[in-house]
Amino acid sequence: MSQCPPFAPFFGFAGVASAMVFSTVGAAFGTSKSGIGIAGLGQFKPELIMKSLIPVVMSGIIAVYGLVVSVLIAGSLSTKYSLFAGFVHLGAGLACGFTGLAAGYAIGHVGDACVRAYVHESKIFVGMVLILIFAEVLGLYGLIIALIMNTKVAQASEFC
Amino acid sequence: MLRNNETEQPSGVLLKLMAFSVALGVLPLSSYYGSLHYLWEGNTIYSAITAVVAANVVLVSYIITATLEEGKASKAGSPSETRKER
Repeated sequence: MSQCPPFAPFFGFAGVASAMVFSTVGAAFGTSKSGIGIAGLGQFKPELIMKSLIPVVMSGIIAVYGLVVSVLIAGSLSTKYSLFAGFVHLGAGLACGFTGLAAGYAIGHVGDACVRAYVHESKIFVGMVLILIFAEVLGLYGLIIALIMNTKVAQASEFC
Repeated sequence: MLRNNETEQPSGVLLKLMAFSVALGVLPLSSYYGSLHYLWEGNTIYSAITAVVAANVVLVSYIITATLEEGKASKAGSPSETRKER
């Protein structure tokens, strides 16, 4: 079996797609779940809406992480493509995608509950931002691993 | 009850939100490609880190803007209540 079979780019493209798709699913869940809480908060205290949109912005950043990894992987795809590179790219895409899914899930639940509590107690704002930051670095860890894995492709690139 | 989102500046909040949404989409990608070509000369890892830093800069500036606006709104709200008491 050769090092560069013709089905190798399948795994590379699957990595690109999974990084974008799964992190977007996480970001969508985070946006929608915290949006429900913001709609509840907006009925009672509309002046707090700008501050309570922070979970939504953080969910957007999770999607940006997936976008950056997709662009990064897609930049090193080519027709001369070894199976090793395909597996590396698939692993990188899955790492970023599923950690983005986890981060978006956490941001959604935390954003919803904390935004609803912010109506009654304004001191919960700092706690909410801290918890959201911890939830967002989960996605950042996946991005770091994807970056590290992507360097392996650059090192071993001349098989075919 | 004075609602500062409606009567004082009905478009200010919306403009800020639109600006931040556009910035969150445009800044990371443009900083990735720009730093790839001009700053790091093809090193993709540093460019990706630059893009992540740009996205987080947008987030931090949004948090600071939201906190400052709430401080301004609460200061503007209290004189109107004393007018009602008169």
